[in-house]
Amino acid sequence: MHNYDTYPFAAIVGQEQMKLALILNVINPTLSGVLIRGEKGTAKSTAVRALAEILPEIDVVPSCPFNLTVAGENECCDLCTNVKCRQGTENGETVSDKSKVQVVELPVNATEDRVVGTLDIEHALKTGEKRFEPGLLAAAHRGILYADEVNLLDDHIIDILLDSAAMGKNTVEREGVSFTHPARFVLVGTMNPEEGELRPQLLDRFGLCVQIKGIDDPQQRVLVMERRTAFDENPEAFSRPYSDASTDLADRIHHAIERYSQVSIDQESMLEIAKLCISVGVDGHRADIVTLKTAKTLCAYEGRKKVTKEDINRAAEMALPHRVRRQPFEEIAAGPLELRRGVAS
Amino acid sequence: MHFEATAPVREPLERTIHTSIEGVYPFSAIVGQDRLKRALLLCAVNPEICGVLIRGEKGTAKSTAVRSLAALLPAIDVISGCPFACDPHSPSEMCERCRNDLAPGVESRRVGVFTLPLNATEDRISGGIDFRQAVKGGARVFEPGLLASVHRGILYVDEVNLLEDHLVDIILDAAATGVNRVEREGLSLRHPSRFVLVGTMNPEEGELRPQLLDRFGLCVEVAGEKDPAARIELMRRREAFDMNNAAFVEKWRLKDQRFTDAIGQAQSMLTAVEITAEQRAQMSRICQEACVAGHRADLMMERCARTIAAVEGRTKVLTADIQEAATFVLPHRIRQNEPPPSALPPPMEEPKDDGPVSENNEPAGGEATSNSTSAENDFSDNGQTPPESSNFLEERIFAIGQTFNVRRIEVRKDRIARRGSGRRSHTRSANKSGRYVKNRIAEDFEDIALDATLRAAAPYQNQRSSSNLAVEIHRTDIRKKIRQRKISNFIVFAVDASGSMGAKKRMISTKGAIMSLLLDAYRMRDRIAMVGFRKSDAEVLLPPTNSVSVASRLLQTLPTGGRTPLSAGLVRAFELARTRLYKDPFLRPILIFITDGRGNVPLNHDAKPASEALSIAAKMATENRINYIVVDTEGGGFMKFGLAGSLARNLKAKHYRIENLRANDLVRMVKEYKHA
Repeated sequence: MHNYDTYPFAAIVGQEQMKLALILNVINPTLSGVLIRGEKGTAKSTAVRALAEILPEIDVVPSCPFNLTVAGENECCDLCTNVKCRQGTENGETVSDKSKVQVVELPVNATEDRVVGTLDIEHALKTGEKRFEPGLLAAAHRGILYADEVNLLDDHIIDILLDSAAMGKNTVEREGVSFTHPARFVLVGTMNPEEGELRPQLLDRFGLCVQIKGIDDPQQRVLVMERRTAFDENPEAFSRPYSDASTDLADRIHHAIERYSQVSIDQESMLEIAKLCISVGVDGHRADIVTLKTAKTLCAYEGRKKVTKEDINRAAEMALPHRVRRQPFEEIAAGPLELRRGVAS
Repeated sequence: MHFEATAPVREPLERTIHTSIEGVYPFSAIVGQDRLKRALLLCAVNPEICGVLIRGEKGTAKSTAVRSLAALLPAIDVISGCPFACDPHSPSEMCERCRNDLAPGVESRRVGVFTLPLNATEDRISGGIDFRQAVKGGARVFEPGLLASVHRGILYVDEVNLLEDHLVDIILDAAATGVNRVEREGLSLRHPSRFVLVGTMNPEEGELRPQLLDRFGLCVEVAGEKDPAARIELMRRREAFDMNNAAFVEKWRLKDQRFTDAIGQAQSMLTAVEITAEQRAQMSRICQEACVAGHRADLMMERCARTIAAVEGRTKVLTADIQEAATFVLPHRIRQNEPPPSALPPPMEEPKDDGPVSENNEPAGGEATSNSTSAENDFSDNGQTPPESSNFLEERIFAIGQTFNVRRIEVRKDRIARRGSGRRSHTRSANKSGRYVKNRIAEDFEDIALDATLRAAAPYQNQRSSSNLAVEIHRTDIRKKIRQRKISNFIVFAVDASGSMGAKKRMISTKGAIMSLLLDAYRMRDRIAMVGFRKSDAEVLLPPTNSVSVASRLLQTLPTGGRTPLSAGLVRAFELARTRLYKDPFLRPILIFITDGRGNVPLNHDAKPASEALSIAAKMATENRINYIVVDTEGGGFMKFGLAGSLARNLKAKHYRIENLRANDLVRMVKEYKHA
């Protein structure tokens, strides 16, 4: 069952904030994604892939282009090209397969039709029937959509991504097809701020934001090199010692998902979040909601059932920096210090 | 279920439309936002109000409120099986099929809220030929689009200010006339399409064209709750909703039902609401005082006031109703008559209605007012000059100077813009990165719109002896994609804000010129960015944006003073332009350096500032995708260095002197490049 092509999550050196943000999103997908801001070559995509590798497998209909759990459960099945599964359903079979959580990569040059899906030309030519050919959003359903260099994507593609992520579905009204299918995924975007900013509107849609940079400590850097070389030489031998750690993490995530609904937060802590958001100056209410959810998720992840002040502080560090209203020329402040001060006051 | 081949219209597919309530946050559970909820209710009661525009910062339940509205709307009677949801009680508005049907079946259906997806193409909005039936039966059957589905419902356009212009035009045309006219793909028909248009926008992202603005009956501004208690309640509810959708919706269902009942009651009451002649006069007085252009405002205010009375359960309109109506109807229509309090041009949204403007079809914002601004600011140009000996290193903030007369150029410019955009799409057909919005007959085989090609070929399939394929395509069927891009141009202003620029208030006229270009860029949907260099470093004051209001605010407060890090300014502006080129290699950025060229802070500590700047400039000139303009702000007098001239030579830039820096000239310079 172990796949040794992927670098183990537990073997990633440093980048704790990023790893945490990813894990929290996996526990609670309603956090609506992570934006990772930072330099290239900082284990961003390795971490995303590695995380998907250790996640519990999900039930899917075999070769379902929409990654559905149950065949025929959704309206998109009516126009689906997967005839086999439809026949199965008609015969009263419930076919289901185990599958790894998918990581779907969105390339910078992705076109809109590949993202949302388009008319199946081959089918149209052969049969004269219109069929929908699902795009990346369908493939990413129940998985992770990884958008590298999200700031370099065309604005309208980012719009579509975020809209689908927020609505949990993708609605297509183009090229003669009219179609809706579920698209719930964890959106992970990466960007290098030096190459351009995202519009504030889009920034706001990402639940969490973490800043990462290369590791400064020489010893840690050596460790990174050593591990990477060892992995490249013999992935299997390298990965084996980490398999326990991976299992532990998977268990922890699993428990956190179960515990989440029991996590409570008192009035006072909620007030603290509200005051914090008002004092640092954010637009709208997404910041409050995401901070609350993040704090609760953190709490669940740590195995507790009551949100503490520390949870809120740590949540705010990830949920607020990119939402703080600022002058157009201001950089996104790393800001945990100021934010903390806000909490203290 | 399908019509015979002779029937012109295909029946809609049996499928759940976007009216499913499951997973939608309940309307009554929205915390605060009373005006927003009120406006939506008024629209739901009386569709004649012509929709709402919701303006406000992100994350303020704009979209949530609109989406939740669907659950509240009372059922309507529709003719069974009609794809346009014809009203059995109003024969005049029926589609052809229903009109000919003497005993149509009637069914009850919820009013739909349709979201215009961000990726919509023209064929799905207005409808087009039904591919399947065309291939199978060789018949040209109309497949209704979004504008058909939305008839008697609500069309929700999220981020309406970002929607492509020509899609906006299609929707507006239908919204204004209540009819969708289809003349495409060999089809020619009209069908009713009366709907309430609800748009949301975040003004930070650019304003709406005045023409479009006026189409919305009401306008509400939303902002976040400032009260911590309300914010807590909001978090609590949202979290409860996310944890268990169904239970939460169930919990609020009764409250939602009360809204539904209220809407129904108000609707039945609406026709009985009376309004007196005196009240009509009062309303037109209010409109006049607010300097509102046209009569739409009067009309909307009357409808709105009557609806308010109906919602309140009265048959008489009170003064309070009129006052409330005014707060919804006027905000986006008010035209400022007095010169604005500051030198800042007013926000873009005011509709302009001056005579000469009618020469072009798109009255452009800020036009009339830029005149008043210039009139107001004339004194600052001819008026007191600061003492010559004022310390250059001292920091001061100059006002924005005279903006040029936009109107005269506008007419010429507008024509060029159209031609330009036509040409743009032509030259860019090789670059397939734009948004596919519609198609046309192709003269070559590049960037073929397969869907449209298939639709074009479909009706002839009966006559074409087919091979194995169901569809045989001939040369004449080929259609190509017309793509549209949001970014038309990218202009970087690199402004020397060092102390020397403060002399003789040069900064004032410079700011005025920049402002003029900003206004121009707004109309052209250009992106702009601004780099300022002063003291020890250059900074990106304004990252690429198309929001003129942000830019003008920034320009207003741009301080002048300090030394001149020219090299840093050059590099920064260049980097900015090059970054955009990564993203869009077909862009031709324009860099405008507004400086006297007297750099005295080098990038490298050991370098001589002047020669360093010149060598950097020479390197920059090798990037031939970027166009450079140097505006030389060096004053006259006996001390002339001509440094900006050398800079321009090294940059291979056009070089203009401050004496000639009439705003008009600067604009023409840019324009020459834009359309070269």
